[in-house]
Amino acid sequence: MIDLKFDSVSKKYRVYHELDAESSENLLLRLRHKLRGNWNDFWALRDVSFEVPRGEALGIIGQNGAGKSTILKLLYNITAPSKGRISINGRLAALIEVASGFHPDLTGRENVYLNGSLLGMNRREISRKLDSIVDFAGVSAFIDTPVKRYSSGMYLRLGFAIAAHLDPDILLLDEVLAVGDAEFQSKCIQRINQLRKAGTTIIFVSHNLGAIENICDRVFLLRDGQIFRSGKPRYVISEYEHLLTNMPAWSSSGVKDGGVQPAAQITSVAFFNSQRRRTTIFATGEEARAEVELVVQEPIEDVLIEVYFYSAFGNLHSHLSTEVEGNKLNLAPGRSVVEFICPEIPLEAASFKIEASIRRRESSFNEHIDYKHAAGINIIKGKSVHGVFHTPHTWRLRPLPLEKTEDPDAVVKTAD
Amino acid sequence: MSASSINHEGSKRERGARPVSEIRPPSLLGINLFTNLTKLAQYRDLIWTLSIHRIKVRYKQSVLGVLWAVLQPISMMLIFTFIFSFIARMPSEGLPYAIFAYTALLPWNYFSNGVSNATNSLVSHAQFVTKVYFPREILPISYIVAALFDFSVACILLGGFMVYYHVPLTINVLYAIPIIVVVSCFALAISFLLSATQVRFRDVGVAVPLLLQVWLFATPVVYPLSAVPERWRTFYLLNPMVGIIENFRQVMLTGSAPESRSLLFSAAISVALLVGSYLYFKLSEATMADYV
Repeated sequence: MIDLKFDSVSKKYRVYHELDAESSENLLLRLRHKLRGNWNDFWALRDVSFEVPRGEALGIIGQNGAGKSTILKLLYNITAPSKGRISINGRLAALIEVASGFHPDLTGRENVYLNGSLLGMNRREISRKLDSIVDFAGVSAFIDTPVKRYSSGMYLRLGFAIAAHLDPDILLLDEVLAVGDAEFQSKCIQRINQLRKAGTTIIFVSHNLGAIENICDRVFLLRDGQIFRSGKPRYVISEYEHLLTNMPAWSSSGVKDGGVQPAAQITSVAFFNSQRRRTTIFATGEEARAEVELVVQEPIEDVLIEVYFYSAFGNLHSHLSTEVEGNKLNLAPGRSVVEFICPEIPLEAASFKIEASIRRRESSFNEHIDYKHAAGINIIKGKSVHGVFHTPHTWRLRPLPLEKTEDPDAVVKTAD
Repeated sequence: MSASSINHEGSKRERGARPVSEIRPPSLLGINLFTNLTKLAQYRDLIWTLSIHRIKVRYKQSVLGVLWAVLQPISMMLIFTFIFSFIARMPSEGLPYAIFAYTALLPWNYFSNGVSNATNSLVSHAQFVTKVYFPREILPISYIVAALFDFSVACILLGGFMVYYHVPLTINVLYAIPIIVVVSCFALAISFLLSATQVRFRDVGVAVPLLLQVWLFATPVVYPLSAVPERWRTFYLLNPMVGIIENFRQVMLTGSAPESRSLLFSAAISVALLVGSYLYFKLSEATMADYV
């Protein structure tokens, strides 16, 4: 049984050019611009064909702009294809966070009804599932409170819990594992597994390669709107890794006075595994080395070199710094490499954006000599992480010497 | 952890056969009116919930609450009575000017408030349109339903006015029902047209209040149809709101049957426009999320 079929599907977007400030003052020019059109066609998908059999979990990976979300939008009927045909066999639902559709003045209960019916549930179905939804979100005590009084976490969890209670034949997942704390995430993963076991077909789009590997039977790697590789998760993920490492690794930013050569420049940031092989994929707890290559124009005293790990949502999760240990770092003109050694990389399974900076110790945090965005790295499941990071630790069993049994009353007496 | 797993007792049972759907590039010939209406019927709970939501949100945290539904036509009535009865001496076909104006203001406000809110409905719900699939026409529809609710509330006061001014109630009042159906169709038609267009051209949102203002004076709300010079009448009657408003006032206040020619004309225009604008709406729905 084929649940989903893409038959030579293409999707074109029109990218409009903004008029420059001077021309947009002129009404006639603006009208002409609007009517004649000043756009480029951008093909988000080009002639994509595939089939998904019933019960398969298909992962879709690729860089931003490769066409991942476009596939989801087409499947979910949010936008129509420009060419080709899509066949869907079954009731389709997306496990997405819909809290942005909440009305702040309405209570949690009212919002559950509103968003549940937006997602296609009828009122009877929602009434039946209401307790379970509220329980899943952990907001039982506040269900009759207007959601504007909710914390942002409660807000998101409730929005997500509604979607998690859909009972579809085909489930679309888009970066779902980004909502809530670890406990809530594990509830979500449990729910996904529950649906999988029930034979639900799953389409999972994510940057989280660890999650993709865990959930999916087959993975597509998209590139420039086409299926670049397809196959077993491990193979496709390693192809993706290969693709990433062979791309120009960063874009420069932070140098505001264009033209002036900074005193020192970061020329590359690269990660190596324990076998000294260059990679962008590490398992939690694995040894990792980061090398920051520099070109120094003039001697600089007492600098700090730092590598930052940002989550997909822009939160700083960790950093490597020459500030923490070791001597004062002075740089002499020429090329050099700073090597950071992490015996156990503690980050949870997710993808991280890498940024690197070089600055003087006494300067403020935002005054960099050079600041670069490097290619991201992906952390896959290794040592188990319950929480946000892995704490390196060992353990042993220590037998206690036999103790005299103490009379509990004696303790009370002394307390007197 | 067992507490967090979700049990759906009997949910599989209610699902029935798996629906099969096919998505193709948008084309006018590809729009199946029947399929779309069936789908809309499946989403009737959403229409209901959203409409209730509109009403709730509007009156929540307001002191006067649902009284606002009455205050708007009343204040307009007072203003018009002052200007057109005390200052301009507008004829009102032998009726007290206040009730003459108020009666016409009810269907007019229904139309005007419904259309102006519905026009913005897609743009103001961009977060729904770009994230979740549901038949998009539900958004404008919900605003028309909410406006219908306000209309019903304001009608209660009309009853009070009729008692106060000793206007006799006749069986012909029932003609108001088909007239409301016609004005609803017309309001929906205009809303589909304007809301779908506004997604691409935001000028529509700015133009609508102006349009409605001009339209109000091109419709016999503050003056009777008989005040329009005979030679302009044919041209004037092309406005479907003329047949609607004039007939509504006639059946409510004079107790006579509606003037069938103008009402049928309004009905024909409204239905034809509704079908046309619905097709146009569905055609632009396919790529709405790319523009909104």
